[in-house]
Amino acid sequence: MLRYFCLLSLTLFGFISGPAVAPAVAMDLDVDLSKPDVRLNVSFKGAELLLFGAKDAAGDVIVVVRGPQQNKSVRLREKIAGVWVSTDEVIFGNAPAYYALASSRPIYEILPAAVMKSERIGTDHLDLQIKAKPDGATQQTIQDFTDGLVRIMIRKDLYTNEAGVIELVGKKLFRTDLWFPANVSVGEYTVNTYLIANGVVETKKTSHIQVHKVGIEARVYNFAHEQALIYGILAVIIAVISGWTANAIFKKRA
Amino acid sequence: MQIYLPIAEISVNIFLILGMGGGVGFLSGLFGVGGGFLMTPLLIFIGIPPAVAVATEANQIVASSISGVLAHWKRGNVDFKMGSMLLIGGVVGSTFGVWLFTYLKTLGQIDLVIQLSYVVFLGVIGGLMLIESINAMRRSKTSKPKRKHHNFLHALPFKMRFRRSKLYVSALLPIGIGLLVGVLSAIMGVGGGFVMVPAMIYLLGMPTAVVVGTSLFQIIFVTANVTVLQSVNNFSVDVVLAVLLLVGAVIGAQFGAKAGAKLKGEELRILLAIMVLGVCVKIALDLTLTPDDIYVLGNTGGH
Repeated sequence: MLRYFCLLSLTLFGFISGPAVAPAVAMDLDVDLSKPDVRLNVSFKGAELLLFGAKDAAGDVIVVVRGPQQNKSVRLREKIAGVWVSTDEVIFGNAPAYYALASSRPIYEILPAAVMKSERIGTDHLDLQIKAKPDGATQQTIQDFTDGLVRIMIRKDLYTNEAGVIELVGKKLFRTDLWFPANVSVGEYTVNTYLIANGVVETKKTSHIQVHKVGIEARVYNFAHEQALIYGILAVIIAVISGWTANAIFKKRA
Repeated sequence: MQIYLPIAEISVNIFLILGMGGGVGFLSGLFGVGGGFLMTPLLIFIGIPPAVAVATEANQIVASSISGVLAHWKRGNVDFKMGSMLLIGGVVGSTFGVWLFTYLKTLGQIDLVIQLSYVVFLGVIGGLMLIESINAMRRSKTSKPKRKHHNFLHALPFKMRFRRSKLYVSALLPIGIGLLVGVLSAIMGVGGGFVMVPAMIYLLGMPTAVVVGTSLFQIIFVTANVTVLQSVNNFSVDVVLAVLLLVGAVIGAQFGAKAGAKLKGEELRILLAIMVLGVCVKIALDLTLTPDDIYVLGNTGGH
């Protein structure tokens, strides 16, 4: 449907501009990242990646980064007998672990709401799949839970609802910084870059960022998961030796 | 200086963690409690995921308890026979507790149960200890402490002599206490010293000096067991975090044990009671004050 509209508008645009314009060809867009991955090592405290690119036509750019999909349970807290108790639960099946957005101009000036919805741009249009919901939940109930999830993720610095800034350098070049906080999840992140003109998505480029543990972090994590029993026993042995050593040191000094 | 934790998956300040370990370790050496009931909420407060906080804390308690028990052993303040009886109960109790924990988790109310158990147990124990030790201080100024009274607890069968504790009581008593504490420690993610210490003093009538060392002796085994179980079932023990905590804690525990030797039994108990009540009030406020957001993330059991 969207493609059809794009084509239609391009064709119309071509007709209006007259015969001087070449036949409608998708405008080209090149995108690259300063680094292809985010490495979680001992000193990791968040990472900034530079996304840069070039476009061969006038227009605005929007960048959307989505983390790996996760199951997320959101619970409502209600006051029962003076105590806040978790009651109703909604489980979302495909919530992104991370969601960031950047645009070259305020996003509502660039894209009509309908296109934002169909392209799932913005935290209002996450298009979450509902795996479980309370009995008799209305559309409004689900919306409230969804808004709750977005608020929680924004507080954790993992979602952004306000678009970051994409700088345009001259007419063709653009760049933006992507921030990955220290609590990011590992996995494959998808970066969609859109070239927008006249409220229509002209071109879309998809690239990927790998977020993964490296060095000691990766070794400890893998060991804990692959050799769980030995890992647990080793953890106890480390504790026993530490306790003993501390005592021995203090005995000598006493 | 920041360090990224491989299992907790967040970045923390090394000196903050060392300091927390040292502070809680000091208190654990002083009172003979593992310190879990303080450290676990603290870890969650600085952003460690609750499951990792509970499991890693168990690992750290192993170290500080060993350090503490050795210090007490040197002064002959560990009743190994009593400790073994407590341990028998503890193993059975914690196994049942893990089962109960899993069951409550499926009901989705485990967080509430944990918080309510904290409030109830910390409140009751802290309150009783405070009242009792203030009375004891008053008495010690005017008259000699009264003799231990006999009640139905002393009529139980399977009597056993505990030389170190100067007691002749039924073996069922320490086993029962161990059982109760084992259940609690599995559900609340703590060593259980704050329940066991008062139980040993008030129910068994053990001398305060022996109570601390014996409690630590039993806690070593229960928390070691929890560490291994958590590693296997939940992959939630973060050794990097545990090592940082225990470096601070083992040193703190040594100073704590020395400071404890200078304080009187009643003073020690009043301080412990105040601390226990403080944590109780904090958790009670969390439960009753209006939260920032009425929606919270639930437990989806991994990704």
